[in-house]
Amino acid sequence: MKRTVYGILSLVLTAVLFLSSGLKSQSGPADSKPRETYLTLTYLCTSNDSVCLTANLKVYKKNGSLALMNATIDFSSGQDENFIPVGSAPTDQEGNASVKIAVGKLQRGKDRMIAYKATFAGSPKYYKNSAEFRAEPAKILISFSSVDTLHYINLTGSRNDLHGHEIPLSKEIVNLHVPRLFSLIKLGAVMLDEEGKASFKFPGNIVGDSLGNLTIIAGIEDNVQFGSVQAVSRINWGMPNEYRKSDVFSPRQLWTPSAPLWMIITLIVMLSGVWAHYMYAVWELIMIRRSSKKDKPIL
Amino acid sequence: MDNSEKSFLKEFAPCFEKTSVKEYAWIFGLLAVIGLGIYAFLEQVLKGHIVTGMRDNVVWGIYIVNFIFFMGLSYAGALISGTLHLFRVEWRKPIIRIAELIALISLMIGPFYILLCIGRLDRAYYLMLYGRIQSPISWDEMAISTYIFGWIIFLYISLLGDLAKMRDFEELRIPKWRKKLYKFLAIGYEGSAYQRKRLEKTMDIMAVMVISIVIIVYSVLAWIFSVTLQPGWHSTIYGPYFVIAAVYSGSAVLIVAMWVFRKFYHLEHHITKNHFIAVGMIMLVFAALFGYFTFNDLLTKWYGSQKHDEVLIRILFKEFYWPFIFANFIGVFLPMIILGIKKLRSITNITLTAAFVIVAIWINRYLIIIPTLQSPYLPIQDPHTEWSIYSSTWVEWSLTAAGIAVFCLLFTLASKFVPIITVGDYRKEDTKENTLV
Repeated sequence: MKRTVYGILSLVLTAVLFLSSGLKSQSGPADSKPRETYLTLTYLCTSNDSVCLTANLKVYKKNGSLALMNATIDFSSGQDENFIPVGSAPTDQEGNASVKIAVGKLQRGKDRMIAYKATFAGSPKYYKNSAEFRAEPAKILISFSSVDTLHYINLTGSRNDLHGHEIPLSKEIVNLHVPRLFSLIKLGAVMLDEEGKASFKFPGNIVGDSLGNLTIIAGIEDNVQFGSVQAVSRINWGMPNEYRKSDVFSPRQLWTPSAPLWMIITLIVMLSGVWAHYMYAVWELIMIRRSSKKDKPIL
Repeated sequence: MDNSEKSFLKEFAPCFEKTSVKEYAWIFGLLAVIGLGIYAFLEQVLKGHIVTGMRDNVVWGIYIVNFIFFMGLSYAGALISGTLHLFRVEWRKPIIRIAELIALISLMIGPFYILLCIGRLDRAYYLMLYGRIQSPISWDEMAISTYIFGWIIFLYISLLGDLAKMRDFEELRIPKWRKKLYKFLAIGYEGSAYQRKRLEKTMDIMAVMVISIVIIVYSVLAWIFSVTLQPGWHSTIYGPYFVIAAVYSGSAVLIVAMWVFRKFYHLEHHITKNHFIAVGMIMLVFAALFGYFTFNDLLTKWYGSQKHDEVLIRILFKEFYWPFIFANFIGVFLPMIILGIKKLRSITNITLTAAFVIVAIWINRYLIIIPTLQSPYLPIQDPHTEWSIYSSTWVEWSLTAAGIAVFCLLFTLASKFVPIITVGDYRKEDTKENTLV
C-alpha cells in the first residue's frame, strides 16, 4: 500500500514539474548556432516629396518576439538588381531603424514604381536578412477653407509621370484622422475626383487642445500602387479643451488630501487598543523582573 | 527545576554544546545558496529590475508571491500557536515551539521580498514620511509593524520559562557569553507561583491579541489586491480566503518541520504519530475550507461572465492549466484522501502530503498574481510579448532559493539556542500525551 501511495505521489510530482510550463524560468539560447531573423520594411510617402522607410528587425522566441537593438540596417533603392545605397541606421530598442530620403533622384521603373530594400548584414549570432518594397511616389496636399460657419478640409492628390510632370491622383480613397491620446480618431474618408481633388466638411465637435488646435492627418493607406501616402497639417478648428477638476467630491478618491473620518477613527481605536495591550504585557514583564529583585510579589 | 526537566535538558544539551560535521556541512551548503542570493541581489541593484522578469505590464512577479507566502507562514505559525495555547490543547507542548519559530523566521524573511519589488530602494523610507492613511499599502505597513512588535512580545513571554531553565542548568557546557545572555534574557524569572500566574495571564492576553492581529493583518494584505478593480482580485472573500490559505500552508510547513526535527534530533518519543495526525487534521479542515473558498470565488466569476473575468478564467484554464489543477485540485484533495483514510495516515504519508500542500499553495499565490497582471483592462500600446507575459529569471529564482535557505539556516541556529520542545511546559505527565489526540 505504501509503495502505491509513494508511486502515485512521485508520478504527480513529476507530471507537475514537467507540465508547469507557466512557471518556467527564462533561459538563454542553448546552442551557438545563429538564430533566424525577421525583417519587415514599411513605407510612408510624405507631402514634401520624401519617403520614410522603416525597417523592423526581430527574432522569435518561445514566449514571443524579441526586438534586436543596435543592429545596422542598410537601405537601398533601384531597379532589378541595381540597388544604390540611400542610407543606413541602427535599430532602436523596439528594433526599428528609419531613414528619410528624397524621391526626386531615385531611379524609377517603366511602371513609375521605385523599389526599396532594407538589408541586415547578419552577425555571428543572427542570420542576415533583407526585405523589399515597391511603390510609386505620390503626394497629398491639405488646405483649409471656411464658408460662413462651415469648415472644409480640401485635399489635392498628385503624382509625377516619367518626365517629371505632375498629374492628378484620381479615384483614390483618402482617410482623415485626428490623433488622440492612445490612437487616431477617424473623421471620415473621401474619394479624389478626376482632377485629384476632394473636400470634406469638418465636424464641429472635435476637441482640441486648450486653444482648439488640432492635427489633421490625411492619408492613402496600403495602396497596391502607392503604398502609404500621408499629409499632416494643423488648424485651430477644434473645441477648446478646458481642463478642470471634478466638482463632485468623492471621499474615497485616492488623491483626496485627507482620509475619511471613519477611517481615521477606526485606525486610532484599533491601534490604541492593540498597543495598550502591548504596553500592559511589557508592564507585566517589568513586574516579573521586579518581583525577582525584591524576592517578593508586588501587587 | 525538577528531575524530569533536568533529564529533558540533558537530552538536548549536545545540541547546544557542539556542532557536528554534518551540521557544519548543512550550514555551509545553506550559506552557499545565500551567497548566490546576495550575488543576484547585487546584480539587481546594479543593473536594475531589467534583470528580473517584471516589466511595465506584469509589475509583480515571484517576489510578491514569496512575500505573501512567507507572511502567510508567519501568520499561520502565530495563529496556530496562539490558538493552541489559548485553548490549552494538551498535545501542543512538543510542537508549539516549532510553530512559534516558523512565525518568527518567516516574519524575518517575508518583508525582504516586498523590498525587492521596489525599483528605488533608496526611496523606501518615503513610505514612512509621505504615506497616506487612504492607501492600503500604508495599512499594511502599520499592520505588519504592529504584528512584529506583538509577536516579539508573545514569543519572548513564551520563551521566558525556557530561558530561565537554560540559565539555571549548570551542567550545560556553553561559552560564558551565552550563559550571560540567558541570564539577561531570563529577567530573573524563577517560576514562582506569583511570577507564573502573571506570565500565564499576560500570555493569554497576548495570545488573544496575536490571533486578532493575525486575522486583521493578513486581511489587510488581501485588501491590497481586493480593493483594486483588477480582474480576479476584486473579491469580497479575499480577506478570509487569504487567512485560510495561510493556516493551510502553515500547518503543512509545521508538519514538515516536525518531521525534520523528529528525524534529525531523534525526537521520536516526543513528537509522535498522533501529533502528525492532529496537525494533519488541522490541515485537512483547512484544505476543505480552502477548496470551498476557491470554488466559491471562481464559480461566481465564471457564472458572472464579465468580459475580463472570462479572459482571466480562460488564461487560468489554458495557459496555466496544470499549475491550476495542481494547486486547486490535487493540493486540496490529497490531504483529504491521505488523512481521511485511516490506513494511509502514516507519518511519511502525512509529511509528503504536507510538502505537496506547500508547493500547491505557493503555486496558488503565483496564479493569483501573474494571470491577473497578464490580463489588464487597458491593453498597453505596441506590446512586446516579453513585456506582457511574465517569465521569471535566474535572479528571482536565486533570491527565492536564498529565502528558503535563510529560513532553514535560522531554524537550525534557533534550535541551537533554545530547546525545540518547550521545557517550561514539559512535565512527567506530558509523556501521556499520546492518549490525548
